[in-house]
Amino acid sequence: MSDNMTAPQRFKAYLSGMPVDRAPVIEWAPWWNLTVERWLKDGLPVDCAGTEALQEYFGLDKCLQTCVDCRTSSTPGAPGPGLGIMEDEADYDIKIRPTLFPDPPAVISEEHYKYLANTHERGDTLHFFTVEGFFWYPRVMFGIENHLYSFYDYPELYKRMCDEYAEWLISVFRYVFSRFKFDFMSFAEDMSYNSGPMISKELFDEFLAPFYKKVIPVIHEYGVPVFIDSDGDITMATDWYASVGADGMFPLERQAGVDVSLYIEKQPSMAFIGHFDKMCMKFGEEAMRKEFERILPSMLKGKVISSVDHQTPPDVPLEYYKIYVRLFKEYAALVRHNDGGIQPCPVFKTPEGKQDNDQP
Amino acid sequence: MGANTVEIINEISEKLQKGKAKEVTALVAEALEKGVSPESILNEGLISGMNIIGEKFKRNEAFVPEVLIAARAMNEGLKVLRPALAGAGVKPLGKAVICTVKGDMHDIGKNLVKMMIEGQGIECIDLGVDVAPERVVEAVKESGAKIVCLSALLSTTMMGQKDVIDALKAAGIRDQVKVMVGGAPVTQQFADEIGADCYTLDAASAAQAARAFFEE
Repeated sequence: MSDNMTAPQRFKAYLSGMPVDRAPVIEWAPWWNLTVERWLKDGLPVDCAGTEALQEYFGLDKCLQTCVDCRTSSTPGAPGPGLGIMEDEADYDIKIRPTLFPDPPAVISEEHYKYLANTHERGDTLHFFTVEGFFWYPRVMFGIENHLYSFYDYPELYKRMCDEYAEWLISVFRYVFSRFKFDFMSFAEDMSYNSGPMISKELFDEFLAPFYKKVIPVIHEYGVPVFIDSDGDITMATDWYASVGADGMFPLERQAGVDVSLYIEKQPSMAFIGHFDKMCMKFGEEAMRKEFERILPSMLKGKVISSVDHQTPPDVPLEYYKIYVRLFKEYAALVRHNDGGIQPCPVFKTPEGKQDNDQP
Repeated sequence: MGANTVEIINEISEKLQKGKAKEVTALVAEALEKGVSPESILNEGLISGMNIIGEKFKRNEAFVPEVLIAARAMNEGLKVLRPALAGAGVKPLGKAVICTVKGDMHDIGKNLVKMMIEGQGIECIDLGVDVAPERVVEAVKESGAKIVCLSALLSTTMMGQKDVIDALKAAGIRDQVKVMVGGAPVTQQFADEIGADCYTLDAASAAQAARAFFEE
């Protein structure tokens, strides 16, 4: 794999619908701890067990995530898995609200800014910035089940919480992106499951869309593409997120019945990361090659960046994963997008997005 | 049924579909006062309303929040109706034991199935999440349940469904119950492999399948 572009240049060109030397070869998610434990038994060197070290070991383009959230060390924790930290207005206003929303300079340490700049300068690393989306954030606050009731039980509180959160996010984006320009960012959402979205279009339009429409233009001002991270069947949700200006989606899980070839037809402006069926990996080279052959036409025709569709399972031996990476590079090299006809992501249609990927 | 009876039962069904718990409760009480039979209120009002929302859920016309608030309205209505049902000698269709299997803490899918099954007039014994196979066996023996519903969200915990089936076999009661499995990583093929009796894609279908077992 001979490279003529840096990882950030390639990624931006790919999302802009421009020619590339090859497709990006990334793992967007960190590896599952159970998988890494298995690989250590398979012979993975102990000092390669971290995310960045694993990416280096396998020879992938590095892709590293920086996450922030609006809670602080003073915010109460959930009393159990899936449970919330608040119930109603009184809880939010008295117990929770005063502990939220740290000052933007405090969300990323100076040391981490230096690390971001240094690794970005090498040219082999993509950095993405992740925050909770307007489905995920209230879910953490209310708890999984009460969150689903909250659309009907506490509609005004839901909107007020998201509005305050959106204002805080805007201040964070303005500060952070003026310090470091991430290659892309993601909103953690997980608002779909294996039968489709958990909420209706009507609820999306009323409770999520206004806040995305508020924050995405600010992110786009800095030329940063916005991805939505939602597991499950996102066939319907993709259109909804496209309508609020999102540039892409991941991870497009095959087990949930997702077919990316439909997505690039119906949302040609969007980019898609993931979609490689993790369940085939345990069956070896032939199965993995067949899976790449399935995805390749979509990679050639649209802005599809193949990647394991949500973490390699622990039943995949280390040697099989090495075969996966070899095949990944082989197929990525076939994708050049020389023929044109590929639409840019929405962010790269703006004057800010068209500018060079220079750091501030 | 007289026109007034039909009207109030339809209204119960409609309000239930919209998740209006207080209105359902008031309408059930009003229907009882007017002499409408508890069985009609249950079957043509509450269960019928849940069936309609269940069908909409299957067609992606209603979503999880709408099902949850409808099920909540049904439960509130049932609280008012239950004494009258007992008085009239109307019994639940049967009993089902439901849980999320050992090692798995996810309960939204399990709760959804439970609510939909209860919406079919089936009594549910909810063992919660992270439930050991022995606890399921014990609950089946204690309750005489004819259905066991097992949920798993993770590919790492789905084998817990097989562990429950094995435990039911070891206890000699496998043939006494129908085992239903579901959850994000579960497929028909997996259900067949572990020897489950039924797999459904969604909660509404699970409820219908459970009802069908009792009507066999």
